[in-house]
Amino acid sequence: MSLILPLLPLLAVAGGAIVVLLLDAFWRRPSKNHLAFATLAFLAAAAAAAVRLWDAGAEAFDGALRLDRPALLFTLILILAASFTVLLAMRWMAQQNAAFGEFYGLLLLSLSGLLIMVSTRDLLVVFLGLEVFSVSAYALTGLKRNDERSEEAAAKYFLIGSFAAAFMVFGLAMLFGAAGSFDIGILLGSGNAAGLPAFTLVGLGLVITGLAFKIALVPFHMWQPDVYQGAPTPVSGYFVVAPKTAGFLVLLRLVLPIGRGSSGGDAIHYFLYAVAALTMLVGNLGALRQKNLKRMFAYSSIAHAGYVLIAVLALDARGLAFYLASYLFLGIGAFAALAAMSRPDREFGELDDFAGIGFRYPWIGSIFSIVLLAMAGFPPLSGFLAKFYVFSAAVRAGLTPLVFIGVLTSLISVAYYLRVIGTMYMREPEQPVDIDVENPAVLLVLFLCLYGILQLGVFPGNILQVIRQAMAGLF
Amino acid sequence: MIPAGHFFIVAVVLFALGVIAFFVKKDLIMQFMSVEVMLNAANLAFLALAPRAQAAEAQAVVLFVITVAAAEAAVGLAIILVVFRRRKAVRTEDLRGLKG
Repeated sequence: MSLILPLLPLLAVAGGAIVVLLLDAFWRRPSKNHLAFATLAFLAAAAAAAVRLWDAGAEAFDGALRLDRPALLFTLILILAASFTVLLAMRWMAQQNAAFGEFYGLLLLSLSGLLIMVSTRDLLVVFLGLEVFSVSAYALTGLKRNDERSEEAAAKYFLIGSFAAAFMVFGLAMLFGAAGSFDIGILLGSGNAAGLPAFTLVGLGLVITGLAFKIALVPFHMWQPDVYQGAPTPVSGYFVVAPKTAGFLVLLRLVLPIGRGSSGGDAIHYFLYAVAALTMLVGNLGALRQKNLKRMFAYSSIAHAGYVLIAVLALDARGLAFYLASYLFLGIGAFAALAAMSRPDREFGELDDFAGIGFRYPWIGSIFSIVLLAMAGFPPLSGFLAKFYVFSAAVRAGLTPLVFIGVLTSLISVAYYLRVIGTMYMREPEQPVDIDVENPAVLLVLFLCLYGILQLGVFPGNILQVIRQAMAGLF
Repeated sequence: MIPAGHFFIVAVVLFALGVIAFFVKKDLIMQFMSVEVMLNAANLAFLALAPRAQAAEAQAVVLFVITVAAAEAAVGLAIILVVFRRRKAVRTEDLRGLKG
């Protein structure tokens, strides 16, 4: 029992993936909705197991898998993201002739990879989890088989993803050669006083580069807009939220033990400093000139990654967790609105398609507007508080220039977010788009995201308490 | 006996060649193969550095990496095949549909 218990969240997800795949093969039905419900049941079981482990925490495989509280908190965020994705996909996939049972199996498999990533301090296990996620993610991207953009996105994602993976393995080899261990504590803890040895530093740089590719930090972001535009819309929503959430916890765990003051620690610090500034600038300036909303949100997610990177640099674990929790509802909410903008065999993602939507479909229009305002950081919505916490922690940590860039780029971002709202409410459509309004699951996701945005923005107390309790486990 | 450090130099050179090939080649299969070269260079680096770290785990890690590479190859070749079916070629310049 003591071996099974810590593995329960992971077993529910990975085992669920196999069960769902088998269900698809042996229990054929015209609609794939039974698979969606089975997936949701497994996700609920995993979440229940994670909540049950909250007080005690747990370890498995000699500490290679460690479910401490930060891990459990991020597990819950990731499970929520996957559940939203299932709800978004149920009808959308059938409409777009992409109703493959494999979708649910692959989604669960990719989630299991991310869960492995967050619940370990062993870099080899991080790599294995990342690859479990990536391999399923390539297939998820290419799932819309009647669309050539989907396969193009899958090919690009696969090439860049495996390229990044090779960097990471080489970095791991150098780190291992320096310290004889993959444990982050042993790897980086030993060199604090004398500074990191050059070998470790190069290895760490390669590992961080590999990770930066996967979470799309500038200058390793070029693939992301293409992939998010080409992937099926619900999958894109999952991609903007889940891998970044997991990747940033890993990045924080890597950066935390490196002390400042030594030459090696400073090198890593200034490298990330430059990356954060570039990420915010390129993300926001890139989003400004997009006409396709999926692409625009891809750039906007790059920009948000820049803000989260400020939290990593300020070693502000709570701000990071709060930002990612709030971005869960923002990212999924935005792509839920995009998923709602579809009808059988047709998808509407261009900015012009949104003209007049605000009055024709008031619920979608109003919730989408609130999501956009929250992304731009208007009070009293969650995006404002998230930025506020990160920026204030950064000022305390002496990162004022970065905060300056952050505030400036936030102002730029208001332009492209408001442009979408303006299109929805103030422009007459040239030819009005007809969308399929009978999609209760997507509306449910939209309302849950609205709830999340308001709850985190107006009454963040309870969540902050949980985050404080959880992230204390990192130090 | 050849010192382990020399193997590491070979690994670095191989890795660099893989990176260069990835950017120079204009064919999905060739790019994929250059990634495989990079992964195997990393494997060689693991083995070359194992004596320095004095830990036998390095050899086991190589098996993990080979497994990961195999899984990636399975999915990756399937994707490249899908691209080939529609376009009858796997050149990178054919993948220009997504822009903005």
